[in-house]
Amino acid sequence: MSTGTTQSPFFSWSRWLDRSSVLLFFIIWELLPKAGGLLETFIAPPSLVFKTLWETYQAGELLGHVGVSLGRAVSGFIAAALVAIPSGFILGGSFRTIERLVSPVLRFLGQLNPFSLFPLFIMFLGIGELSKGAMIFWVCIWPILFNTINGVKEIDPLLIKSARSMGTGIVTLFFKVILPAATPGIFHGLKMGSGTAFFMLIAAEMIGASRGLGWLVWNAQTNFQIPQLFAATVTISILGLALNGVFSLLEKALLGWRQNSHA
Amino acid sequence: MGTVADNYKDAASADAKIVVRDINWVFHLKRTRTEPARDFIALEDINLEVKKGEFLVLVGPSGCGKSTLLDILAGLAHPTSGAVYIDGKQVSGPALDRGIVLQGYALFPWRTVRQNVEFGLEIKKVPKGERKAISDRFIKLVGLDGFADRFPHELSGGMKQRVAIARALAYDPDILLMDEPFAAVDAQTRENLQDELLRIWEETKKTIVFVTHSIEEAAFLGDRVAVLTANPGTLREIVKIDLPRPRTNSDIRSSAEFGWVRHKIWELLQNHQPEVRGAIDSRPVADAISPSAEL
Ligand SMILES: Nc1ncnc2c1ncn2[C@@H]1O[C@H](COP(=O)(O)OP(=O)(O)OP(=O)(O)O)[C@@H](O)[C@H]1O
Ligand SMILES: [Mg+2]
Repeated sequence: MSTGTTQSPFFSWSRWLDRSSVLLFFIIWELLPKAGGLLETFIAPPSLVFKTLWETYQAGELLGHVGVSLGRAVSGFIAAALVAIPSGFILGGSFRTIERLVSPVLRFLGQLNPFSLFPLFIMFLGIGELSKGAMIFWVCIWPILFNTINGVKEIDPLLIKSARSMGTGIVTLFFKVILPAATPGIFHGLKMGSGTAFFMLIAAEMIGASRGLGWLVWNAQTNFQIPQLFAATVTISILGLALNGVFSLLEKALLGWRQNSHA
Repeated sequence: MGTVADNYKDAASADAKIVVRDINWVFHLKRTRTEPARDFIALEDINLEVKKGEFLVLVGPSGCGKSTLLDILAGLAHPTSGAVYIDGKQVSGPALDRGIVLQGYALFPWRTVRQNVEFGLEIKKVPKGERKAISDRFIKLVGLDGFADRFPHELSGGMKQRVAIARALAYDPDILLMDEPFAAVDAQTRENLQDELLRIWEETKKTIVFVTHSIEEAAFLGDRVAVLTANPGTLREIVKIDLPRPRTNSDIRSSAEFGWVRHKIWELLQNHQPEVRGAIDSRPVADAISPSAEL
């Protein structure tokens, strides 16, 4: 975009800073355990962590755990989006009165702590995949729903008016105006939902699971395998970063027209 | 219903493109719990005819209902009472025979200049190749060639305004409704666009209803200028403008007739009793031209 030219020197500068700070972080992390004592017992240096990571990968276990975790997160997330986005359009667009009536209830439900609900999910849905899927579904649906409602509500009425003046029918109006105009809101909701989903999934897997990255952390902790613990944590962070990256790319593709999308 | 249709038949002249009959527009203002709801009359008993191919300009103080009237003509708003007829048929909603340039740009921010201009053509289901040719032409017409692939947020206010004009022109409506379309452009561009609009109008024989706050612009563009008053919005008088056509900014502005018309509209807006024409004609033109021609 045209803004790129003015910002690129700043960008490379900050990227250089980012890189050097990451490097510094790894050096300190590597050196810290060498101080001995408790630090040596509880902190695994990166060299050891990545060695363990490699070994776990070689043993063919790592990808399996990653796959299980991702599968749960993605399916819960998609299910939530499939329910929340249409509901958001209905509540934010056509049925404002209903939205006003149910909004307090929805807000209350959205505030319920998913951890305290997890035992309930397990009770109703068993310890298997369904209870974790339900947990992800639960944490994703609220940000997506609320942001879709707001996104639809905040569409500039002038745009609708302008489209209607050209004789736009209701279906075309939806796909050519309402949907693109609401996309920033929806996208924001999806991004928030995906972040919490991943976060909560790891926690859920630590509470009740027999596979997955969360379980890997929990397992390493119970067996006091510090390098394993660090390896699992690092994997989770890398996945989290990848998730952010995917959303940044999506944002560029879907919302490149926005003023601040490149900032 | 029947009576309105009869009214129409009684009153409309044969070459009328737009007939506005007894339009009233009332807002029901809901205040607080304690204060009772009260009605606000935005438009009262508006009767108006616009001939086929005519250029009618609406002027009036802010809040007198010009935009509301345009919305009603576009079919975007239904009058509280009364009716609008286009080619003898009562308006029931918006259609592609009327193009409106709304006050404010109302561009789709996710569409480039070209895609904005092509919106109406997409609705009209014009094939892609043809769309491109048409949008090219109108983007060029409003002087935005080279900006076709920019997004609205990358344009200045005046450029956005020009995109909105190109968008309304592109799908070739019979009637153009324009709500202060040149309000946000500089004086030079404004004069160019005025000349350009007159050229397009003379070429395409479109019927144009044009809202402006500039008396100069009204006098320069219009066949007739309808002056509205506020509270409630009523039609005060229609001033006929007999300046020769084709008009261009360079040769019209210095003419005595232009000065007189300008002064007359100014007076109507000031709510003065308009002077008798002869009295003004005997004075030097410079005196007749008010220094505050711009509202
Ligand atoms: N939604 C609304 N509710 C109540 N009153 C409204 C509403 N929209 C407009 N009005 C009132 O109707 C009147 C006419 O508004 P309108 O926008 O048509 O004026 P206008 O002549 O176009 O003014 P301007 O020259 O400032 O654009 C104004 O007094 C305004 O306050
Ligand atoms: Mg207005």
